[in-house]
Amino acid sequence: MSKPFTQNKLDRCISCGYCLPACPTYKLTGNEESSPRGRITLMRAVQDGKLPLVDLVPESNFCLGCRACEPVCPAGVEYGVLLEEMRVATWTGKNRPLIVRGLFIAVGTKFMVRLLGLFSPLAKNRKSGSEVHLALGCFERALFPSVSKAVAAIEPNCSISANQGCCGALHAHNGELEKGKAMAVALGDSMPGTILSTAGGCAAHLSSVLGRERVKEFSEWWAAKESALTPIMKSGKPVRIGFQDSCHLRNGMGVFKEPRAILAALGEYVEVPDASGCCGAAGTYALLQKKNSRKVISQKVRDIADLKLDYLASVNPGCTRQLKTELKRAGVKTKVIHLAELIALSQK
Amino acid sequence: MLIAKLTALLGSEIVRADATALEAYSRDATPLFHGLPEVIVSPRNTEEVAKVVKFAADTKTPIIARGAGSNLCGATVPLAGGIVLSMANMKKIIEISKSEALAVVQPGVTNIELDEAAAKDGLRFIPDPGSRNVSTIGGNVATSAGGLRGLKYGTTKNYVLGLEVVLGTGEILRTGGRLVKDVAGYDVTRLLVGSEGTLGVFTEITVALAPRPKTSKYGVAYFDDLAAAASAVDQIILSGIMPATLEFLDNTCIVAVEEFAKLGLDTKAGALLLFGDDGDEASVIPTVERMSEIAKAAPGCRGVTLAADVAAAEQLLYARRCSLPALARLGSLSILEDIAVPRPKMAAVVKRIEEIGQRFNLRIGTFGHAGDGNLHPTIVLDKDNVEEVKKSELALREIFNLAIEFGGTITGEHGVGSAKLPFLEGLIGPGNMELQRSIKKVFDPRGILNPGRLGS
Repeated sequence: MSKPFTQNKLDRCISCGYCLPACPTYKLTGNEESSPRGRITLMRAVQDGKLPLVDLVPESNFCLGCRACEPVCPAGVEYGVLLEEMRVATWTGKNRPLIVRGLFIAVGTKFMVRLLGLFSPLAKNRKSGSEVHLALGCFERALFPSVSKAVAAIEPNCSISANQGCCGALHAHNGELEKGKAMAVALGDSMPGTILSTAGGCAAHLSSVLGRERVKEFSEWWAAKESALTPIMKSGKPVRIGFQDSCHLRNGMGVFKEPRAILAALGEYVEVPDASGCCGAAGTYALLQKKNSRKVISQKVRDIADLKLDYLASVNPGCTRQLKTELKRAGVKTKVIHLAELIALSQK
Repeated sequence: MLIAKLTALLGSEIVRADATALEAYSRDATPLFHGLPEVIVSPRNTEEVAKVVKFAADTKTPIIARGAGSNLCGATVPLAGGIVLSMANMKKIIEISKSEALAVVQPGVTNIELDEAAAKDGLRFIPDPGSRNVSTIGGNVATSAGGLRGLKYGTTKNYVLGLEVVLGTGEILRTGGRLVKDVAGYDVTRLLVGSEGTLGVFTEITVALAPRPKTSKYGVAYFDDLAAAASAVDQIILSGIMPATLEFLDNTCIVAVEEFAKLGLDTKAGALLLFGDDGDEASVIPTVERMSEIAKAAPGCRGVTLAADVAAAEQLLYARRCSLPALARLGSLSILEDIAVPRPKMAAVVKRIEEIGQRFNLRIGTFGHAGDGNLHPTIVLDKDNVEEVKKSELALREIFNLAIEFGGTITGEHGVGSAKLPFLEGLIGPGNMELQRSIKKVFDPRGILNPGRLGS
């Protein structure tokens, strides 16, 4: 059998442990095997034949894949890549969760992706002169079609076409790395020029495959334009806005200042404690690991409730869904909304 | 069966022995040391610790207390198997007393958590090892961890006031207390500091805190080589200044750190000296300016820049703390050393280290705490290159001998652990070594606590 991991990527880790405090699952358990360093130790043991592959499954499942360990790693370990390899190795055959199989089918072809948006009031197709294409996403088009409509309204210089496939992030993070990469390439081919994405997770995957310069996440795109914004008012005062980072946008693409700068212009910006920490949505995690996902977000829900925010801005549909669900469950009134929708609101 | 008995004693919630957990706890941050434990126990309170230790004594099972596993001397690798006692569940800050300027904590609290909690009362915890974001107070005390403030403020041993400790018999003992002055009896507290888990397991730690300084200022001076930077450090101290921080890095380290931190460091310089002080504005600003002038005037200086603000200074310090892991970018194996020499000898010692690197044709990146003479020469190599690994062992031995030749020590702040135990007797002599063994027997008559370390 060929080795599951790229050896020199494993070798990068010197086990210093600087990643431990950044890891949400280590925070939850205090268990070494549930930390990035511990998981790499396990990957090494499997790579060297000291542990059977099947022993990796529990930690492969438990890891959120938030990549918070990467920016804090002085040695530059590419944990995200190692996790993708771990998922490829472990989530095969009967170890691939059923929900993941279902989701693969849902986004596997262009036809299916279009089907997802069939009954959603999406942004209308249009062509613009500039080489900027809006990626509509799969789940965003089904669950939150108002996001693409908001972008269409505030950003007239981008082309929109409903006839596009999935970016492949779902596949890449859930054990189908090669297919995930091929899907990104196909999407890139259908959208020459710049791809504009309103989902941090999709943007990070696309940029890892197509190159950083081809892909712009919406908030970094907007921040670069330096357009003037007017605050949203409520009873004579600017609204209180908080923010939840998208893990892959922050840890994978290094974008976190831009959305904050935009939000500070739209109202009274309040930094949520641990805003950079994963909300527990983590792609398919909220579906596959419901209990752990709720444990991860529980403190965040309390913190957000205490802040009495009007809006909590998100830049990724998975986060939006998770935060909406959990805030509602806790009876918190704060409205979860995509950053682009807030800009659109401010221009009304 | 060990696991069955421990589960019966403590419940399944805190006893684990699945293959993945055992593998994960088979190493710490020290390269080349691996050993599988038989079981992992994560106690939640002192009584549970006492129960496990008593059990270990009765069954003569090795037991190793572990904080974050970030030590660099192989102090927590279960080479003899047995029980790993993970202190991760004992992470309460029990008390911070502003009027007494002290804190009482459980051992699993991290260094930075304690410092941040102290900050709320205008206080700080002085010891700041490079690993402060991850390393625990228990581990800091067990190794008497140092850091970037050693010259002016000392290290962990200067800040531990009292301990609650479980001895090798399972007996719970309290030593010291909350007082700065207390000479009743032998200073057992101080003996336990740096004992690397061989004399007892800490369950509660009382440490002294200090007022948080009102301001701090830092600057960076570049030099042609480490020896020139070391001479400048001598000039600074001779001028009557004892600053909080005097850290240096050689070119290899500057390049690695810059790649990670991207602070715009001069990667062409042979050495970088990070200097700074903290305290009241009226004293800090002139002190740092004076240091800047001395550095500028020193032979081999290429230029000096002062950090614009506290945030910029914090970034510099953070980058410095990341030197070791950043060096890992250069090779698949980094072996780090921790010698300390009398500061006036430092310039000569760094030259000799460079010479050793050239003679063995090894890449050695050296960084360290220039103020207190504590140097971290780090050999970066390819782990699969058997020849290189062998050469590095010889080079390390020469570096140890070099330290001893200049009146220094083989470990300034990382500890002896497994990595340096073979060299300990050569440094302290057979008489002292025998005394260490006798002490160990008194605290741990069954020889179960972290066997293979210090006086085992």
